[in-house]
Amino acid sequence: MVKTRTWVIIIVLLLAVSLGLTLWLWSRPRGDVVNIYQDGELVRTIDLSLVTKEESFDLESDYGRNTILLEPGRIRVSDADCPDKVCVDSGWLTGAAPIVCLPHRLVIEFAGGRGNIDAVTG
Amino acid sequence: MRKLRAAVTAALAAALLTGCGPAAPEPSSATIYAMDTVMELTVYGEEELLEEATDLIHDLESRLSVTKEGSDIYKANIEGSARLSEDAARLTGRALEICALTGGALDISVYPVVRAWGFTTGEYRVPGDDELRELLKTVDYSKISLQGSDLTLPEGYMVDLGSVAKGYTASAVIDLFRGAGVTSALVNLGGNVEALGSKPDGSPWRVGIRDPMGDGYFGVLEIRDAAVVTSGGYERYFEEDGVTYWHIIDPSTGRPAHSGLSSVTVTGPDGTLCDGLSTALFVMGLERAAQLWRDSGGFEAVFVTESGEVYITSGLEDAFTLEPGRGELKVIDRG
Repeated sequence: MVKTRTWVIIIVLLLAVSLGLTLWLWSRPRGDVVNIYQDGELVRTIDLSLVTKEESFDLESDYGRNTILLEPGRIRVSDADCPDKVCVDSGWLTGAAPIVCLPHRLVIEFAGGRGNIDAVTG
Repeated sequence: MRKLRAAVTAALAAALLTGCGPAAPEPSSATIYAMDTVMELTVYGEEELLEEATDLIHDLESRLSVTKEGSDIYKANIEGSARLSEDAARLTGRALEICALTGGALDISVYPVVRAWGFTTGEYRVPGDDELRELLKTVDYSKISLQGSDLTLPEGYMVDLGSVAKGYTASAVIDLFRGAGVTSALVNLGGNVEALGSKPDGSPWRVGIRDPMGDGYFGVLEIRDAAVVTSGGYERYFEEDGVTYWHIIDPSTGRPAHSGLSSVTVTGPDGTLCDGLSTALFVMGLERAAQLWRDSGGFEAVFVTESGEVYITSGLEDAFTLEPGRGELKVIDRG
């Protein structure tokens, strides 16, 4: 009987945990997770809601270097050794369009798409 | 005891299953760097199709590019004539039709002018009046001869299919997917969007249109089996002495087109037509563009004026939604 009660407790606990996990996954703000792709490969995932202070890091590849700047809730390319600097000029990442550095084949975009939008034109 | 364990397993399985909801068909997607842009392909079907699509895109680029040595177009521009491959011939023919349809607002022979402004290389400059006048002598699509697959250009002429190549390629990729039995796919070739069917759940694909004045998008277009292409001055431009010069050149003046519009979006079943028209309607301005829409079929359009007003053609009344706070939507009627 003791064993049965142990099993029941385990089941209840597991159900509670799975329910909690599901609710947390649903309610979590999706717009804060950013993926960085190099040459189509996911190289880094950053949750902007966990960024508490300004920090930056370099992404180096065979194509060149991009310096990524993080502030609480936002991300941008602050410097790069590409010729056109389109990525730097793009400013902070918005939901409308990813930050792209074509010469370095770098793409920074929000994970889970852009809200309920499947693609952006323009 | 064994019974109990089975019950536990079943309970766990049930918990896990309900936690994840019903299994939806998983999309395969790929990112491709080609034609000077980033392309994203999403297909609800076999992953191998993405490799075929990638090969197709690179093959088309090698034939249609104006800058790749050895392409059909490169050869025609250097030698004055060339025998085109099937795709290059078909697209050149379609492009010339759109040039005629728009009365030259689209002109594939404007390339020498675009090059003089530096938009092909990034070495921007403002050409002088004399230089532009001289260059405009070699801009006239009606002087280009396409007999079957033989392209012949007058002395000094150069053509560029850049204003239609991505739209054509998007349609070619969609055709490849459709031929393989796919019923749901979305491709985005650097802003040239084309959808096959609807989303797997039957709802339309939602395409945001970028706000020409700032971040974000100003409206959403819902599409099924259609292409969406936007042209705007904000896409590529430079500033000199406080003046902004953008890449959409009016073939009649050789200068950046200032028609009162800041972006034009064209949607319809034909990706090539949408691509070519997005540039042409931007050059034509709202009034002439609306007249072309009334006179011909096969497309609908969304216009943003330089003062930020948004106009749609009446066929989009159900498909287009303006974002909140963007003022009043104006509808252009057939009448």
